[in-house]
Amino acid sequence: MTEVPFRQRTYTQSDAVDFVIVGSGAAGGVLAKELSTAGFNVVVLEQGPWRQSSQFTHDELAVEQQHDLLNISTEPFQTFRATETETPRRNTGQNIRYLRGVGGSSVHFAANYWRLRPSDFKEHSMVGSVAGATLADWPLSYEELEPYYTKVDWEIGVSGAPGPFDPPRSRPYPMPPLPIKSSGVLLERAANKLGLHAQPAPFAINSVPRDGRSSCQSCGRCTNYGCEFGAKSSTLVTVIPKAIATGRCEIRTECTAFRVETNAKGRATGVVYWDRDGKERKQHARATILAANGAETARLLLLSASPHFPHGLANSSGMVGRNLMFNCYSHSFGLFEHPLNEFKGAVTGRIVLDYYEHDATRGFYGGGGIDARFPYNPIAFALSMLPADVPSWGREYTRALHEYFTHTVRFTSHLTSLPQLANSITLDADYKDAHGRPALSLTYSDHTDDRSAQLWFQRKMHDMMVAAGARKVWDLPIVPSDGSVHLLGTARMGNDPRHSVVDRYHRAHDVPNLFVCDGSSMVTSGRAQPTMTIQALAFRAADHIARFARAHEI
Amino acid sequence: MIDNEPVLRRTFLIDAARLAAGGLLASELQLLAGCARDDGNRDVDFNMLTVAEGRAMRALAAQICPRNGDLPGANDAGVVYFVDRVFGMPFFADAAALIRSGLADLDARATIAGKHADFAAASDEEQIAIMRVIDKSPFFIAARTLVVIGMFSDPKYGGNRGEVGWSLLGIEHRPSFTAPFGFYDAQVSAPAAPGAA
Repeated sequence: MTEVPFRQRTYTQSDAVDFVIVGSGAAGGVLAKELSTAGFNVVVLEQGPWRQSSQFTHDELAVEQQHDLLNISTEPFQTFRATETETPRRNTGQNIRYLRGVGGSSVHFAANYWRLRPSDFKEHSMVGSVAGATLADWPLSYEELEPYYTKVDWEIGVSGAPGPFDPPRSRPYPMPPLPIKSSGVLLERAANKLGLHAQPAPFAINSVPRDGRSSCQSCGRCTNYGCEFGAKSSTLVTVIPKAIATGRCEIRTECTAFRVETNAKGRATGVVYWDRDGKERKQHARATILAANGAETARLLLLSASPHFPHGLANSSGMVGRNLMFNCYSHSFGLFEHPLNEFKGAVTGRIVLDYYEHDATRGFYGGGGIDARFPYNPIAFALSMLPADVPSWGREYTRALHEYFTHTVRFTSHLTSLPQLANSITLDADYKDAHGRPALSLTYSDHTDDRSAQLWFQRKMHDMMVAAGARKVWDLPIVPSDGSVHLLGTARMGNDPRHSVVDRYHRAHDVPNLFVCDGSSMVTSGRAQPTMTIQALAFRAADHIARFARAHEI
Repeated sequence: MIDNEPVLRRTFLIDAARLAAGGLLASELQLLAGCARDDGNRDVDFNMLTVAEGRAMRALAAQICPRNGDLPGANDAGVVYFVDRVFGMPFFADAAALIRSGLADLDARATIAGKHADFAAASDEEQIAIMRVIDKSPFFIAARTLVVIGMFSDPKYGGNRGEVGWSLLGIEHRPSFTAPFGFYDAQVSAPAAPGAA
């Protein structure tokens, strides 16, 4: 499990490399490849193991119930509270979840790759302030990020086809879309009847053999699972092998960073971590880059408090860990006459983006996209995904298991979450993780506009399901968010050091040689599917960080 | 997001500290799989369950997910042997204690209500009547969860014999598929042209 599948350059502890990067996931993998390719020496600290594609399985009990790939399989405690006035309680809710291992959560994500639109970057200017929220413009525009979205398309590997609402793109998709599924045909049928527009869904999955990797084999286990074919464009199989091939990058696995060290001048000197034997070590570097995800990056900054930085590193604004956004969802289900067999193929085939933009006439902030899927594997489906009017045991239960599994589809809205100061990652005062660090503590409540958006979209999707010709339609109750795999906003970008953690180049306002680039950088949530944007940001950040390094400005 | 809500964590209220040892489960189970039994209806040779617990568990499983006409049920999948095997594993340790006491309680209820030797000896109607009384209890919820997992998990764990659970759902359990996948996409004519711009 821990064997490194490549011969790679290794550095000694005392080597002061150019960059130490914490995290080898969606952003860390891109940064490692770009900076090592640009000629810099790079060490990446990854707390999980280096799995190979052939080690991934379809074992639902291990992957979805025991969470073998995830942080929560080894983490004894997290705490949760809905509001700051409550006392955090341990191990309630869905938790902060991410994959521990090389490639990070790009290994087990569903690989939906939507770009943001020009409006996403300036919604505060367009919408105005929203009560209770910290809605802000991004310090960059779509036009500035577009070349890097295109870089993701071509260097990571995205399949898709243009749609009627797409933002401008400088280059076509490198691969045609994945095959349409029955769910996509039904979504398209509904869209056509209701005057909406269905389009092929873009995915970071090979639809044809490309870049030395297989095409998608339609095994149906994208979400939550690693791809044993290497067709899913995780950083594990795309940029990380290329980073290693430069001869300048070392991925150091099973190493858990717990403090960014700073000197008397307030500059970062490197990262202190526990190696696989639990021994404390330090990697010295000219500059430190955090790409550990929106929860762990925040925890690491808070853990790196010092006399010089009493409230946590890079936290003079008080924004570290705050403005956490998960994205919201709502669902409508339909039972159809004929089999759809949604257990085959990528998670969806068609999306509807007519309601993407904010529209003041709806009476709430927000917008989103809709797709069609049935992402439940047998255990999860049989435990809890039959409609409420079906008995949960007995002869009718057996019959329903047979009738529903292949004939059901879910329309899902992928929605905005408003940033709020109180929604946050903090250090728990009482509970420790497996290493003895303060446990992750989550404070989170959906904004009232988030809930309004969920309900509005659910009504739309219910109507769409009827239009698609479902024999039976039912909706899943909307419940408050209490955990997620989308971890956004906790070290937000901005031009004003009083209200943001990093500048428009991902450099910490307070520490000149510290950079933060992952989901935490995002100022607004987009309409879910954040990884495409996280990676575009990482490609862009790498360009600027390399420029600074060459100019001796780190 | 809701696509991977940790169902089991909620169902069993597992203390996450135990999960640290959970990674052992797969390898231990693979060792035990070498002892696979062919006779799905014997009451002996359990590793973890007593004969009485095995009888009650089999009867309970048969009512939770019964055979219905041609549709296979929990006992066709050998769910009781799955339960027997996983009881020794850290991941299911909390559930094991709950299930054992609950199975004993089922037997006691059958004895009191119908003067039966145990739950398994009661008629279908009597068993169902007993279950209706307790089907919101933590025991029943945990037992149902175990039955479902035993029915639909990889056969290497001891249940889902002959992949009958997957067959019940209509799944062809293969490592890969090719389009068309279902009825509706099969009706759509040409696939997307390569090289979409």
